[in-house]
Amino acid sequence: MMGGLPRHPLDARRAGSTAVIVCGALLLVGAATSVARGAIARDAARARWAEIEAGRAVAGAKLSAGGARWSEARGTPVARVVVPRLGLDEVVVEGVGNDELRAGPGHMIGSALPGDSGTSVISAHRDRHFHALGRIAMGDTVVTESARGTVVWRVSRIRVVNADDPALDVRTTPTLMLTTCWPIRYLGPAPDRLIVEAVPK
Amino acid sequence: MHNLGRAALAAMMIVGAGTAKAQITTLVASPPRKNEPAQQAAAQQREKVAQDSVARVAMTGMKEWVDSASAALAIRPDTVPTTSDTAVGTPRAATSPAPKSDSSASGRTSERQPEFTDGARAPNTATPIAAIGLAGVVLILTGMAMKRRERTARVRVRG
Repeated sequence: MMGGLPRHPLDARRAGSTAVIVCGALLLVGAATSVARGAIARDAARARWAEIEAGRAVAGAKLSAGGARWSEARGTPVARVVVPRLGLDEVVVEGVGNDELRAGPGHMIGSALPGDSGTSVISAHRDRHFHALGRIAMGDTVVTESARGTVVWRVSRIRVVNADDPALDVRTTPTLMLTTCWPIRYLGPAPDRLIVEAVPK
Repeated sequence: MHNLGRAALAAMMIVGAGTAKAQITTLVASPPRKNEPAQQAAAQQREKVAQDSVARVAMTGMKEWVDSASAALAIRPDTVPTTSDTAVGTPRAATSPAPKSDSSASGRTSERQPEFTDGARAPNTATPIAAIGLAGVVLILTGMAMKRRERTARVRVRG
């Protein structure tokens, strides 16, 4: 009657396996939800950017004269960055917080707008919008569109720095800095940052 | 005669008891004196001052604590905080205006945004999504393997 394995350990094993599967499913759903929210936000940013492009004259009126500090609401599309060779084409939103980086590359608050004199910093996640940035090479062409107009850049410097290093500096000449985490293929928080510098052609 | 005497004694006791009760009542519940409200008010005033002092000290401590916490967390209230007599100083974060936000950003919590300065670090673009997804897949596979083992064990038990 009581021969063989007792019944309780099997029940516990069944409950444990179910719990493990449920936890895994929850993690997957959470990750998928984040990716889906990012896709929705990206589409919204693209649609908004299309509206802004259509009313470029109105958007241009927002710019302060003399290339002063750019000021725009966080999450608002402010530019578009294209790297033709890599097939990278993203709409840049203002700010580099979690919500902004979910929607697309973020323009670092306080930096110049692409086309203005000074350093313009654009950052994005390595596993989403700037994944292709790992294949960029010296001399590659980068095109930016903003209320300042279209600027064609040439990649002049590629460097990898520690995440805590003071890697960004103020320039007087127009400089574009594209940053993302490094290594591109890395599980967990990446320890370094890839910084791609470009100057107008 | 005895009956008359008893009746007289009973009447005296009743009357005496009534008189005594009246006297005791007078002694216990004497009418309030005219200067008592003033004394009570003075006592209440003293108590209130003491309580205010205690509350002021406590509120001052709370204010400093809240200020330090808000400065540490960079909380930016949407409204201008009301000044109080306990305010030692207004924190910088409280005086700075709330960041301009559009409708999509209205529901966001105040988040410290890195601003570009000379020597700034590159923005934190790290994301745990891939690791979370991988962990989910590993857990699901582990759970399925556990289930398979459990089924195999059940078949052995039945066999």
